[in-house]
Amino acid sequence: MGTTVTHAPAREALSRDSEPRHGPVKPARPAALKRRRRRENLAGYLFMSPWIAGFLLLTAGPMVASLYFAFTDYNLFDPPRWIGLDNFSEMFGDPRWRHSVQVTLWYVVVGTPLKLIAALGVALLLAQKRRGQAFYRAAFYAPSLIGASVSVAIVWKAIFSDDAVVDRTQQLFGIDVGGWTGDPDMIIYALVALTVWQFGAPMVIFLAGLKQVPRELYEAAEVDGAGTLRRFWNITLPMISPVLFFNVLLETIHSFQIFSSAYIVGGGAGGNACGPADGSMVYTCYLYVQGFENSRMGLASAMAWLLLIAVALVTAVLFWSQKRWVHYEEGAA
Amino acid sequence: MVNGRNVERRTVLKAAGATAATLGLAATTGCGGDGGVSADGTVTIRYAWWGAEDRAQRIRKTIALFEKKYPKIKVKTDFQPYLDFWKKFNTQASGGNPPDVFQNAVGFLRKYDAKNVLLDLGEQVEAGHLRMEGFRAGLEKFGEIDGKLLGVPVGSNSMALVIDKPVYTKAGVKPEQGWTWDDFEAGMRKIRDRTGRAGDSGMYGVMYLYDLYLRQNGKAFFTADGLGFTEADLTDWWTRAEQGVEQGLYADPKKVAQIKPKSALAAELCGSEFTWDNFTVRYSAEGKSEYALAPIPTTDGKKTGQYLGSLMLSASKRTRHPKEVAQFIDFMVHDPEVARIMGYDRGVPATQAQFDAYQPTDEVNKAIAAYEESLVEAGVLEPITPHPNGADICESAFLRIAEELGLGKRSVDEAVQQFFTESKTALGT
Repeated sequence: MGTTVTHAPAREALSRDSEPRHGPVKPARPAALKRRRRRENLAGYLFMSPWIAGFLLLTAGPMVASLYFAFTDYNLFDPPRWIGLDNFSEMFGDPRWRHSVQVTLWYVVVGTPLKLIAALGVALLLAQKRRGQAFYRAAFYAPSLIGASVSVAIVWKAIFSDDAVVDRTQQLFGIDVGGWTGDPDMIIYALVALTVWQFGAPMVIFLAGLKQVPRELYEAAEVDGAGTLRRFWNITLPMISPVLFFNVLLETIHSFQIFSSAYIVGGGAGGNACGPADGSMVYTCYLYVQGFENSRMGLASAMAWLLLIAVALVTAVLFWSQKRWVHYEEGAA
Repeated sequence: MVNGRNVERRTVLKAAGATAATLGLAATTGCGGDGGVSADGTVTIRYAWWGAEDRAQRIRKTIALFEKKYPKIKVKTDFQPYLDFWKKFNTQASGGNPPDVFQNAVGFLRKYDAKNVLLDLGEQVEAGHLRMEGFRAGLEKFGEIDGKLLGVPVGSNSMALVIDKPVYTKAGVKPEQGWTWDDFEAGMRKIRDRTGRAGDSGMYGVMYLYDLYLRQNGKAFFTADGLGFTEADLTDWWTRAEQGVEQGLYADPKKVAQIKPKSALAAELCGSEFTWDNFTVRYSAEGKSEYALAPIPTTDGKKTGQYLGSLMLSASKRTRHPKEVAQFIDFMVHDPEVARIMGYDRGVPATQAQFDAYQPTDEVNKAIAAYEESLVEAGVLEPITPHPNGADICESAFLRIAEELGLGKRSVDEAVQQFFTESKTALGT
């Protein structure tokens, strides 16, 4: 789904290429030019062929197959049996499925804004001219480099267990709720905390956006007596709104797809993969359980397609909403 | 650009060549099934099991012995923890590429027989590559389904109550053969009051224990094709469980969930735990205390409902080396030296020869041997409960839903309903 976002620049690049070239190309007869262009195109496709082959074999093919499986009862062993929309109606009637949707929505709705606020906050601090900023930028970006790894999720699980750092710190403040990972209501917050901690990528993008804001706007506002908050609200925020939109879009899509951290913090190898009482059973975790534990590949495929559709809808809504709050400068975009 | 044209063409050709080569390579590795036969006639078979590192080390030693005796057979190994093992196996088997020989259990025989994965080893027995004589306690029949020999038992085990000895002594609880569930509950109360620990780790989610309880009452967890108990039965069992958790008789499920994969008993969250007797080895390795085996509580003071379970070795129907696989299994269940290496890791050895070959010297293994002997002497062993196709999914659903109940996420009625819904889907009833 990440490709949706890169569409615009890609299309731009494409149209630039396909425009007839005038100046730099040596004058040649139209026929020869055509031949040469064809050859160049061929070369281009040849160079792309490993990727194209990979795309067709490893992405497009399986996707088409999975679309077909979504309407079948398929246990991997027996040939798939066409059952129409039964998988979908089963899903809607399954309380575990509804629970997984709930957990995922909660994660997206709580986690994404917190992560973006953290990212923007830190970006604002790092955008100021100060000694050693390069070091701070690297340091704050680091967690998102290692954040997706399995080892970090394992460490995270340990941090939020009974009598571990978080539990003891809580106790210092007289809060006695125990470790988060064993608590079906708290474990999701351990995951939210993990995603918020990985704010590096959106932060870097915010940082780039902040650098683009023309200084003279701030100077003019200062002359007019606008305070820090006012300047942030009336200048910074509208000026970086395209970047904000990009981040919101990307992070929302990302959040819907959360799997490995939930899988590991919730149990991981050798355990129940979905946390205590399915507390961390995000959508993809349940999909995995249905597909690989219960061998119900048809149902799992149907779930995957429904997720894709849901994410596409959310993306569409975000695109529609941008008219109302995203401010593009005249001439740009 | 002008003199660059030739270069360009050459580069293109090279690129094309490289691409073709890569694709070709991918294709050859993709179908690179050599069937595991090398030029000098050495056959390679793949062997997979579930278990921890400790078991892997023992098994590797036994494989070294086997390869010494059969120099023309090489064994490639693979192991994972229980749940991961079955996920991987299921995926491999569906792709037509399961290991040639693998560890199996009763609960999976019908499932994979229905999926046409298991080799009927009967032919190899007739061909003389696999001996099915010399098994103890009728174990040679354990892997037979509908006249097909789908698994060969390597050891026997039975459900038991593993207790933390000092805790039981301190609380003054003495479990004896024929003690009842009321005695058991009173014992749990004493442990809670006198040692400050929960009595039990949460037996209400252990399918194999509930099976025994049902068997004591003339029922069983499964019939040949469905569940062998009613919603009212389960409501009764889980209502008492809920009360037990509330009163602190059973360990706090939050804490149990967090220390996984370590067991609640070894982590000193409770005084005892129902599990398979051969797991006692594990507690001694994990925990600091001294552990012992106690009898299963009864309903009528006599019947425990127990039976011998068993881990087995099964072969894949798609193996290209059925003879070598049969020789491998034969070696693993009959060779006395193998028994001395494995100990009771996979239960008390299935064959008399292996049983006699290994005389336990340490307390833990002695206790396991004594426990199984006592079961035979007490005459409590009965025929095994059938395990229909889908039994494994019912088992994990039972455990999971019981945990949700313990955590207070579901009422008893909701839990019972959810379990019946999921089991019916899994069993196709």
